[in-house]
Amino acid sequence: MPRKDPERERIELLQGTLDMLILRTLLWGPAHGHGIATAIERTSSDVLKIEHGSLYPALQRLQQEGWITAEWKTSPNNRRARYYRLTAAGRRRLTSETSRWRRLTEAIARILRPVESPEES
Amino acid sequence: MSWKQQFAKLRGLVGRKQHDEELDEEIRAHLELEEQENRAAGMSPEEAHYAAVRKFGNVVRAEETAREMWHWLWLETLVQDIRFGLRMLAKNPGFTLVAVITLALGIGANTAIFSLINTVMLRYLPVEKPVELVQVGMLTHRPGEHGPQPVFTNPLWEQIRDQQDIFSGVFGWGDARFDLALSGAAQYVKGLWVSGDFFQTLGVRPAVGRLITTADDQRGCAGVAVLSYGFWQNHFGGAESAIGSTISLDNHVLPIVGVAAPGFYGVNVGTKFDVALPVCATAIFDGKQSRLDQRSSWWMFVMGRVKPGLSPEQMKARLAVLSPRVFAATIPENWTADMQKGYLQRSLVTAPGASGISGLREQFKQPLQILMAVVGVVFLIACANIASVMLARAATRSREVAVRRALGASRMRLVRQLLTECVLLSSAGAVLGIFLARWGNALLVRLISSGRNPVFLEFSLDWRVLGFALAVAMLTGILFGILPAFRSTRVSLTAAMKGSQAVELEHHGHFRPGRWLVAAQVALSLVLVVGAALFLRSFVKLVTLDVGFERNNVLIMHVQARAHDLPPEKWAPLYDEIERRLATLPGVVSASRSVLTPVSGFQWDQNLHADSPNSPSGDASATLLNAVSPGYFRTLLTPILAGRDFNAQDTKTAPKVAIINQTAARKFYPGLNPVGRHFRLEQDPGKLGAPVQVVGVVKDSKYWTLREETRATAFIPITQQPDWPWGPNFLIRVTERPSAILSLVQASVVSVDNSLSLEFHTLAEQVDDSLVQERLLATLSAFFGGLALLLAMIGLYGAVSYMVAQRQTEFGIRMALGASPVSILRLVLDDVAIILAVGVAAGFCISLASVRVLEKLLYGLAARDAATLIGAALLLSFVALVAGYIPARRATKVDPLVALRYE
Repeated sequence: MPRKDPERERIELLQGTLDMLILRTLLWGPAHGHGIATAIERTSSDVLKIEHGSLYPALQRLQQEGWITAEWKTSPNNRRARYYRLTAAGRRRLTSETSRWRRLTEAIARILRPVESPEES
Repeated sequence: MSWKQQFAKLRGLVGRKQHDEELDEEIRAHLELEEQENRAAGMSPEEAHYAAVRKFGNVVRAEETAREMWHWLWLETLVQDIRFGLRMLAKNPGFTLVAVITLALGIGANTAIFSLINTVMLRYLPVEKPVELVQVGMLTHRPGEHGPQPVFTNPLWEQIRDQQDIFSGVFGWGDARFDLALSGAAQYVKGLWVSGDFFQTLGVRPAVGRLITTADDQRGCAGVAVLSYGFWQNHFGGAESAIGSTISLDNHVLPIVGVAAPGFYGVNVGTKFDVALPVCATAIFDGKQSRLDQRSSWWMFVMGRVKPGLSPEQMKARLAVLSPRVFAATIPENWTADMQKGYLQRSLVTAPGASGISGLREQFKQPLQILMAVVGVVFLIACANIASVMLARAATRSREVAVRRALGASRMRLVRQLLTECVLLSSAGAVLGIFLARWGNALLVRLISSGRNPVFLEFSLDWRVLGFALAVAMLTGILFGILPAFRSTRVSLTAAMKGSQAVELEHHGHFRPGRWLVAAQVALSLVLVVGAALFLRSFVKLVTLDVGFERNNVLIMHVQARAHDLPPEKWAPLYDEIERRLATLPGVVSASRSVLTPVSGFQWDQNLHADSPNSPSGDASATLLNAVSPGYFRTLLTPILAGRDFNAQDTKTAPKVAIINQTAARKFYPGLNPVGRHFRLEQDPGKLGAPVQVVGVVKDSKYWTLREETRATAFIPITQQPDWPWGPNFLIRVTERPSAILSLVQASVVSVDNSLSLEFHTLAEQVDDSLVQERLLATLSAFFGGLALLLAMIGLYGAVSYMVAQRQTEFGIRMALGASPVSILRLVLDDVAIILAVGVAAGFCISLASVRVLEKLLYGLAARDAATLIGAALLLSFVALVAGYIPARRATKVDPLVALRYE
């Protein structure tokens, strides 16, 4: 039986948008997986929900495409962690993806705008 | 997936282990960080840990998905699946065995029929570049002759050979039969008359010696013989010394010059040749009436190899130019002006010749298609059975599936795993099935062979057959696996973990998909039972038909003079003497002779002009003829209804007489007494013979086939027949088995003349041989119909048993609450009745819609024969009720206590 769940109020990520969000997060500098996940949640004011586990396949994919690189480093609290860094190709990718995304959201927003005049049909 | 990712995978293959470990460590670090944060936020350590894991989601799945980025995971999982599948199958040896045998039978039957179709109709000849070969035919535009006629005369063939500019090589051939024996019983071998280019154009090489060449095929040749490889092995033990020795064929001695390569059996699929002779040698065998210059002796087939680069349009254009020239040069002199005009209108056409030619194609095309459909349906039923068992097994495996899903296995992954198991089963079935098919092929050839017409087919496992078996195996693996796989992976995790028995079953244990499967099986098997009943009934009708003669205990002896030195006028006294001696043998009831025997496949007809008013003329007056000796009707037990039999006074010089059958009497002398009236036969077109007096009327009997509508037939005394180049058939009615008297008959003939060639068979065999197609269909459809019925009933039995087992508790409770065994029985049988009703109704509709295609193959009953349909449905229902009753009774034997204690 489905119960009313506060978690339900959060928005599940669209397919493919996770890649863009990861790239965007890395624009601020290298980060490890956990860091990326928390950053996305914080910056979206906890509206976007990521299952942390889904981050890792995405990170592998981005690495393979050559948009990010990874290296093992010691974190500030003295723990070994894998840090991901944006490459030049990744930066270019982010730019093109962002503008594509903007066009898409604008288009959708136009469609969803409250109807101003009654339609004739 | 991009090439970069593919490349990364390649690299991943190398450092795979390290990669897996790094990923592990990374995820562990992630979880620890999250835990730390949670603790910092004030959670207890335990709470912090669980919250972290919850947030991360399924660790194993995340790892798998991430790993998939690096590995050819499908390959690894495939190997895993196969290993696991084999383990599961080994755990259930009983099920595995039954399933594999069922599949092997199904795949075997399908492959056997398909490989027969392949061998007879599809396969290319084992010669050089077979696709370049075309068969030459001729459009006659004559009524009743549809499509190109394949048979030519020698003059036509010579014209085509000399005038054509279409083929890089062209050859003609004709079939022959030669007698090896010098005296007594004939020992026939299959012969070929081949033109000089035959072997060379086909690209057949000699195994030893040389083959026939154009130099061998010149008018006036002395003749040479080329043996087939098989004949050389059997008759000469494969000795090289055979080359250069001689062979006696019909008492003509010919030198053997070589042996054709093994695997070459000729161009006619379904037969094989033993000896090949050049066409020119027919002159030696035919004597004065050589067929080489006869313009109306049709006996040759023509094939050619198209010149490279010649388009079909160019070929058509060249044939259009060639045709009038060829036909103008070969007009048959003895034809009427009208017929000659028609002859000049004829045109040459070509048809693909890569698969050779075959009389079997015409005869067995439709029966084989029907059988293919039948075995296909049987196979569907068998698959449904296995699917039912798989479904039942799936229910028992639901716990395993639930555990695996809880541990993070995706549904598709599990479906794939289960399907792998199915494909494993069907592959094992396919391997066994291919062996079974080899055996089935031999059986099929026996069924389409007849005593006097042995069919020779060489089956080979070519890519078509193997591909077919493989495709069937894959398809069925998926077919019987897909439903159970999807169903069993749709489990409610909580219910399964709780260990409830009935996780799989909704609606009070009604086993829904299983029921539909069984209903479908019932429907399909009803269709097959209907088909089998139709073929069986039609075959029985043919066998028990009143054919107008008594076929049993009649020995037929065909006699042919070996040497042509006896003048024709001496033949009749010789045959008379033989007939007299045969009649006196012990065990012989009567002896007679005739030119043709009933249902022999030979036909002789002429137009008959009766002296009655309004008697039919032209083509409508065509009448079948036979020349018989006195005693012919007595031997065949065909009653003479009016007038008299022939007797010794009806000699060559006496007034011409005839006996006609009832149909002829009705047709030519309606309302009149035909005895004493006269008719004339049209000897050549437009030329009437001497008047013939009707002296008797006999009962109608079958002449050409058993299926024919009896046609008007006239019998004339064998002494008064025109010259006939072939020897007569002696018909001998005996008291015991005909084979018992064979040596006595042979000795008696030899004592009259030891140079005659003799060939024996029985009238019963001859009639049987004419029913090859009907017997094939009746036998196999009955077999497969029975098999379908059996499989469907096993399916029903299994489904009801399963249902009873599942509802054991319910039945126990009912009984504890006072339900009577009868009411429990009714509960179960109600279910059976519903399945049956749905199945029979559907089967009835499918039968009605599909049996129409059988119409042409049936005899004496309509395809939608009501009695057959209802009878089949009743039979099926009865058997189904029995199959359902047995497990249903078990439901009434449930001990309430045992059932209740179970949960």
